[in-house]
Amino acid sequence: MSGADRLSQAAFKFKALHNAKNSAEFAQIIKIDSQYTTTVLRDVWNADGNWNALLTQQGTTAISELSLMHFRASVEFCQGNFVEAYACQLSSYQAFLRAFSNMDRWGVHPLLAMCKDLYLLACRADYQLTRTEQPASKLEEATRAINQGFSMCMTDREPLLNISRKWGTYHLANLLFALYLRQKAFNMCNSMIRAIKTSELPSLDQFPMGDQVTFRYYRGLLAFQGEQLAAAKRDMVFALEHCHRDAYRNRTRILMRLTPIMMIEGSMPQSRLLRRYPPINELYGGLARAAMLGDLCQFDAIMQDKEQLLVSLGTYTAVEHVRRIAVRQLLYKIYLIDGKSSRLSFQRVRAGFWIAGLGDVSVFEIESILADMVSVGFIKGYLSHEHGVAVLSKQQPFPPIKSVLAASK
Amino acid sequence: QVEYTSPAPWHNQAYGLPPPQPSFATTPEHSHLVSGSSSTSSLATHLKVKDSAPIGFSNPSNHSSSNDHFTDYGAASGGQRSRSVTRVLSKSISEMSIEEEHGSLAGATWPNSRATQAPLYSAVKLGKIAKKKVAPYAPPPAGKLNGFAKAVSAGGEVKEAEWPLSLKRFVERSFAACSAKMRFVLEKQLKQIIASAKANKKLVTMDWDNRPLPKACNPGVRTIKGIAPAKPASFHADIGELPDDFDSDERKERRLLRFQKEAEAAKQAAYVSSQATMASVPHTGDVLNWDADTIVGTCTKLEKSYLRLTSAPDPAVVRPLPILRQTLDLLKHKWVENSNYTYVCDQFKSLRQDLIVQRITNGFTVEVYEQHARIALETNDLGEYNQCQTQLKQLYTMGLPGHSMEFLAYRILYFLYTRNKSDINTALAAMTATDKQDPAVRHALEVRYAMATGNYFRYFQLYACAPNMGGYLMDNFADRERCSALLKMCRAFRPQLGLAYISQTLAFDTADECAKFLASLNIPILCDGPQPSVDMKAALPYAVAAIQNYEKVDIKGQIY
Repeated sequence: MSGADRLSQAAFKFKALHNAKNSAEFAQIIKIDSQYTTTVLRDVWNADGNWNALLTQQGTTAISELSLMHFRASVEFCQGNFVEAYACQLSSYQAFLRAFSNMDRWGVHPLLAMCKDLYLLACRADYQLTRTEQPASKLEEATRAINQGFSMCMTDREPLLNISRKWGTYHLANLLFALYLRQKAFNMCNSMIRAIKTSELPSLDQFPMGDQVTFRYYRGLLAFQGEQLAAAKRDMVFALEHCHRDAYRNRTRILMRLTPIMMIEGSMPQSRLLRRYPPINELYGGLARAAMLGDLCQFDAIMQDKEQLLVSLGTYTAVEHVRRIAVRQLLYKIYLIDGKSSRLSFQRVRAGFWIAGLGDVSVFEIESILADMVSVGFIKGYLSHEHGVAVLSKQQPFPPIKSVLAASK
Repeated sequence: QVEYTSPAPWHNQAYGLPPPQPSFATTPEHSHLVSGSSSTSSLATHLKVKDSAPIGFSNPSNHSSSNDHFTDYGAASGGQRSRSVTRVLSKSISEMSIEEEHGSLAGATWPNSRATQAPLYSAVKLGKIAKKKVAPYAPPPAGKLNGFAKAVSAGGEVKEAEWPLSLKRFVERSFAACSAKMRFVLEKQLKQIIASAKANKKLVTMDWDNRPLPKACNPGVRTIKGIAPAKPASFHADIGELPDDFDSDERKERRLLRFQKEAEAAKQAAYVSSQATMASVPHTGDVLNWDADTIVGTCTKLEKSYLRLTSAPDPAVVRPLPILRQTLDLLKHKWVENSNYTYVCDQFKSLRQDLIVQRITNGFTVEVYEQHARIALETNDLGEYNQCQTQLKQLYTMGLPGHSMEFLAYRILYFLYTRNKSDINTALAAMTATDKQDPAVRHALEVRYAMATGNYFRYFQLYACAPNMGGYLMDNFADRERCSALLKMCRAFRPQLGLAYISQTLAFDTADECAKFLASLNIPILCDGPQPSVDMKAALPYAVAAIQNYEKVDIKGQIY
């Protein structure tokens, strides 16, 4: 049979699956490089020897246009022209959206497959465009398109919950998070979270675990950005505990944000964790070690070294809070070395700072550092300016770090 | 599913196709995509082999796992269930009661029931569904007034009833000849033409049939870049008749002046358009985006008070660039001589307005905004400062020269004032290494560090030596930091602290100022000893209360 006939046969299959509402198989063949697609394209090629059949046919219904554009996108993808592939995939997606308004829950799975493909093609198209020094706007377009699908899912009016389109909402929300964060549009993320909160979706724990984990990860990330550490910790801990065993990279990503939160609370990452996740070790391992040893010099050096990395992650200011723990450890060492006497003179502290490699710190600055420690609660006692000593309390002048930090919450 | 484990048979030499050659493997992420294909050889070899799946892309094994994962999406669809089950389930929903009125189960028309749909794999002919075609614009039949004429006459002084027939035909012709985009402009022009014809009492006598169509009908007259904008034609030319004193000297001079201006405008437009596209501007021309709407001012008065624009600007009151330069010098002198902020701010705002209206964006604009920002900082007008800072940020990203480092430092200090942590993070991320070496920026970053690590002594040291106008900015939150530092000292120090020590640590100029500050917080100062001192324990509750005042930041900043 000729190429055109093969293509119309393939269009029949799309239409048949659409009529049968065969969600699984439809989603499978609608992927860019599915087996069915390659089979069809190979047959067309063998029959015709060129792609004219693809280029001359016009889709009449939404589904036939969808299938035709899908085949074109696959061809372009295989040839490596991601920009054209993206354009074809976008028109295929628009056609699908037209048909999607009449589908119920069975259309969600194919929609998710198409959105994923659109996202991946947009990334690659932008990469190609930036290499040829053209403005790379495909990702923005894809975001807008996927947003359409997302709102169709979220505002679905179907009264029956088990065939409602709402079950795809969180998956698309996660995809949109990834897109927005790539474009650094945090305000869009926050507005989307608000929109989801006010809409009438089934509760998050009824959705598949994958959706839950990913959504909580992103929500925790945004809370971390907004300096709401308690909410961030709740979400991140859930995500980490329920993340799939084999998803190593995802767990690393969760830990990248969770570790500073735990460190601020005084729980340093264990050696076992640092062994299992070398990226975490590289970022926070040295800092944790320096903080617990009270090595302020090393801590400052590592902070300066890793500044770019931490700033790009958005965790630099959080890690700065850990410095207080390092200062407390250093003072505790000085206290121990002086034989645990209940009077710690400023001059001794000054000498200790000098030996620790921090240079000549003036007495005024020592006093302010000690006042900071006392006011936070790391040191129990008081400072006497006339005598130049810190009078420490008889029991537990240096209370344990975690209890102090927990009490100060 | 068939799983390919070896290269597909069509790669075989026996099929007459060349063996696969590696190509398009310029980047690692693409090399696995198109394994063994050459871009110029037959396209069949481009079809990907299944044994190497790209990262994150579909894989036969992925399919099965994702299928399992997604069964809950497909479970509720009608695809897997038998008809009877579907019917039973659908029947239990209350909405179906509407359908039941129409007949038996077999004839029910549930929206998604498979019973009523066409069976699978039927020989469906793809009928030709006519695509939606936008009807081409057909000119209205002669003599019939369409809505366009209404639009033109609406709001004008000339009523439709007064129009002669030739004028109506003229209006129709012009609307027929112009594109949809230009209709709005055409309406305006037609209104103008008709109003001037009426004013000259030529409405009826003028030969509308032979009059040339208004300018909006011609494509290509109004382009943003490249083509010189035509100066708006004079009042008389639109009428199509020469005025009586056409050849007089006065008119000749005016025409000469007009043509000179047009030539200048053409030169400038050509200069601007020969620059690079807007996207990557190193902006060198004076005016951004010159087009037919840009005006050049003619006013020569140096001072002008600020009035919010409610209509199109009149060139007679707008000052051109050379005058504006003189104005800036004058304002600088005036500010130094007598610090009348309301007057100077007003003048600066009108100066900025003239710049915006004439779309002048160059080093001078930057200078104006910088000066206004500095003056606003000195008088602590944070609203104006913020406006200038936003504009300056845009101008700096366009590549215009100015004191960008100084204003970056101000930006950081402002974020510290508003405690805007997310913006601090983004500012830190956007800074380059060269930015961090500038002394003003370094100072601001050290202030941030001192505040983050709770080192109030270092903070007040930095406060005392702030460069440029940073001190004025830091004044805004100095009291807040003093309160928090005082709180720390009250918690830590016992039994008393000398007033001199407190005033020195909190960077007060004199001990009296410190005393006033403490008195404003109701903290008692004991004068019985050799020096005045403060009882820390007694002062603690006052210090705690003082901090509560600063929990919310003013609306010009961010609400904390």
